[in-house]
Amino acid sequence: MVGLSLGEKHFIQGGIAQDLRSDGRKRLTYRPLYVETGVIPQANGSARVRIGATEVVSSVKAELGKPGSLQPDKGRVTIYVDCSPTAAPMFEGRGGDELSTDLSVALQRCLLGGKSGAGAGIDLSSLIVVEGKICWDLYIDCLVISSDGNLLDTLGAAIKLAASFLISFVTDMRNSNNIILILFLKAALSNTGIPRVHVAAGASGDDNTEVDISDEEFLQFDTSDIPVIVTLTKIGRHYIVDATSEEESEMNSAVSISVNRKGHICGLTKRGGAGLDPSIILDMISVAKHVSEQLINKLDSEIAAAEAGEEES
Amino acid sequence: MAGRPGTNQTSYSPSLKTQKGRPPIFKDGDTDWVRPDGRGFHQCRPAFIRTGAVNAASGSAYAEFGNTKVIVSVFGPRESKKAMMYSDIGRLNCNVSYTTFATPVRSQGSDHKEFSSMLHKALEGAVILETFPKTTVDVFALVLESGGSDLPVVISCASLALADAGILMYDLVASVSLSCLGKNLVIDPILEEESYQDGSLMVTFMPSRYEVTQLTVTGEWSTPKINEGMQLCLDACSKLAKIMRSCLKEATTTSQE
Repeated sequence: MVGLSLGEKHFIQGGIAQDLRSDGRKRLTYRPLYVETGVIPQANGSARVRIGATEVVSSVKAELGKPGSLQPDKGRVTIYVDCSPTAAPMFEGRGGDELSTDLSVALQRCLLGGKSGAGAGIDLSSLIVVEGKICWDLYIDCLVISSDGNLLDTLGAAIKLAASFLISFVTDMRNSNNIILILFLKAALSNTGIPRVHVAAGASGDDNTEVDISDEEFLQFDTSDIPVIVTLTKIGRHYIVDATSEEESEMNSAVSISVNRKGHICGLTKRGGAGLDPSIILDMISVAKHVSEQLINKLDSEIAAAEAGEEES
Repeated sequence: MAGRPGTNQTSYSPSLKTQKGRPPIFKDGDTDWVRPDGRGFHQCRPAFIRTGAVNAASGSAYAEFGNTKVIVSVFGPRESKKAMMYSDIGRLNCNVSYTTFATPVRSQGSDHKEFSSMLHKALEGAVILETFPKTTVDVFALVLESGGSDLPVVISCASLALADAGILMYDLVASVSLSCLGKNLVIDPILEEESYQDGSLMVTFMPSRYEVTQLTVTGEWSTPKINEGMQLCLDACSKLAKIMRSCLKEATTTSQE
């Protein structure tokens, strides 16, 4: 990115102090949000989100796997972010690795909750099929196509949208668990199903699985608990929401706060090197809660619109 | 312990199967729950810290907080690699790695990339980079035994090692983490408590400047809980910084004698 001259820096800082940013927004206003779901037909759920010039695509794939020995009653979720060189030439090869790791770790912190599973946006116990033997592994992969600041918020929104078009499961344990029949649902454009799992009685030994392809139903994965991420960037003495990359280059520090529908904080990461007074952090938390309500409403209306759109087609 | 007769067991680690049925150390309704090592909820582990552990390094420190043992060495300021561009402020390069014997089950001993970048962010706000332009200071942290609350111990030990190396800093950086188990907030969790935690909060603090250089929160927290947690951590950080300061003073007085 081209460096900023001293005049431009003063312009940005002075404008923010007067609640007027370079593109005319107020300090706590988001750029317009464009959403498209079901962009990847082979994935169980996918979404593409564009905030201003920042664009990301996220996809959710579900595969059967074995639960970890330490947590036999929980499924697994893996989040991976890839920064593509189309976003910035420095991302080619290993260059984007550090940023990718940072973003993946921050997203995992926000969405997966504490180690015992409490407070997680995605309920891991609903991903279990047969306790101790089979569970769903959700792989959430995100791709950053274009980067103009505020990647974390965009990624959070994309994951929330992709997961909301995923289907949840019903495990129907009929008899005991020798032969397991798994009905696979073929992914339709948005409503992809994660299978209904029937555990039927059978004769042979333990790990026999039979895969049968059927095509019905799917249940809506409950994503109303997935939190949204709000990044507050501190420039001078004020905070702004949704910084562009120019504004981010000016920042002292930034705090990314993930808030869920109930107004509880689900994760917080402070980025940037400068130190912050603890009272300022507490203030930022309350501002983030306030801003997150708007963002949650916006995402909800997008989800509803997309669902309505499918029902017609 | 392990070792079923008749099987070829090459590792000595206890069989995982016996651990599966173990009940969690903490149940939600338990009001009389006592921590496994007998500490109070708001009591930190006793800290043992020494500087000058590695002779070859410019500065080093060794810290033992209960079962968490960490050694950090600082090399520098050294010439930056030729491939790096000129910069008029110094560079800080941090690396955190675990030994293969650090965890209860032998692991690959990999680099924890995210710990390295978190250590970097924690120290960046404290080191005065302008004092060593064009050069790099390398901070290498090695976790010898992981007994819970690893990253905070690494950060505190690293800032002590930087002080021992004579790198100019705004203030010592002290770091403490807190776990939320049900409704209780326990400070400085051990490995067992961390595996059952509902949420965690880690604060990296510069006490004299009253500034937080890094804060990470996981799990679901309501605002009053975050407030309480932060206050507890800030308090513990100030006390830890005093201990770190006295350790540095001792090191210089003994070397003068």
